[in-house]
Amino acid sequence: MSLGELQPLLLQLEREPGPLTPQILRALRAHGRPLRWAITAAEPQASGGCRLQIEAVILRPGAHP
Amino acid sequence: MSSAAPLPTVMVIPTGIGCELGGYAGDAIPAARLLAAASGCLITHPNVMNAAALYWSDPRIHYVEGSSLDRFAAGELALRPVRRQRIGLLLDAGIEPELRQRHLQVADGCRASLGLEIGPVVDTDQPLAVSLSLGASGISWGRLGCPEALLRAGAQLKAAGATAIAVVARFPEDPGSEALAAYRQGSGVDALAGAEAVISHLLSQELGLPCAHAPALSPLPLDPDLDPRAAGEELGYTFLACVLVGLSRAPDLLTAGQARAGDLQIEQVGAVVAPAGALGGAAVLAAAERGIPVIAVHNPCLLQVDAHALGLEVLNAASYSEAAGLLLALREGISPAALRRPL
Repeated sequence: MSLGELQPLLLQLEREPGPLTPQILRALRAHGRPLRWAITAAEPQASGGCRLQIEAVILRPGAHP
Repeated sequence: MSSAAPLPTVMVIPTGIGCELGGYAGDAIPAARLLAAASGCLITHPNVMNAAALYWSDPRIHYVEGSSLDRFAAGELALRPVRRQRIGLLLDAGIEPELRQRHLQVADGCRASLGLEIGPVVDTDQPLAVSLSLGASGISWGRLGCPEALLRAGAQLKAAGATAIAVVARFPEDPGSEALAAYRQGSGVDALAGAEAVISHLLSQELGLPCAHAPALSPLPLDPDLDPRAAGEELGYTFLACVLVGLSRAPDLLTAGQARAGDLQIEQVGAVVAPAGALGGAAVLAAAERGIPVIAVHNPCLLQVDAHALGLEVLNAASYSEAAGLLLALREGISPAALRRPL
């Protein structure tokens, strides 16, 4: 049973139009398997968009403590 | 008492974000009981219901671990109510013998005095090495040094017939810390909560069983100024009783394709209730994206991820009492907008 390592992750994400969940999961999965995540800040941008801060714990396959 | 059909409702108070109500030792239980009465069916998670030595059991309340609740909201899981679960007890090898014995005695007490089915008991083959941390926002997170050891023990319990798993991990202690003092006096974040969530999420996701976690800690010195919201954690030697009671009737977790009549699925959910500043979690977002009404309750916390910031339409409630009124309105088919002036 080899899981890899649990690692904290802090991401900044520019929100795109459309549902948020798929955007967040796509960004997190680039780093590993998301175990727990939440948007912990949302900052409106002058451009009219929004920058999201996401904190997560991910399982990074192949990495071992 | 409403005569309308129950309105299945999801109640979320995220763990470790310092919510004024629900950020301590099961101090959201009164709100959960009220929302259960208003809706007739409440699906919520251990952070809401766990008060260490204190607990409340209500057949209208479904106790679902956080990541399973997220998957339920995403339409991946269905929930099947059961009469009882057989709870396997998973103990961290890092727990000292005397503290371990205290936990075994809680299991014995729940068997003898509450009639719960508990066992077998499995110790991990190496210490889990839990560590605590705070994220950039100040909310609590945590890690496990040996996640494989957790899963090996969990798989052993499942193979032995456990249908739910209560995990007890040895948590690091710092009785003199400022954070702990603030928490005990009602102004801090539960520093343990983030790591607890990681443990139960991992186990539940990998094994597909209802799971919940209790930290093993040495008793703290008496604090005469203890905040009542934290008091549930200082009444006994363990935090385990509430977990065993919660899991004893936690619903089975099924893939959505296995669902049959009588099971709960996200399509039946009529509302989600969450703190107004913490709407950026997986369950709330998934439900909102399905068009399920979100009731955003004034419940100050460390985060300010509100409906405006996320572009969500919500029903605002100044308190859980008001949220209960809104749930009752939805259950009875009354438009919440009709209850406000101007129309």
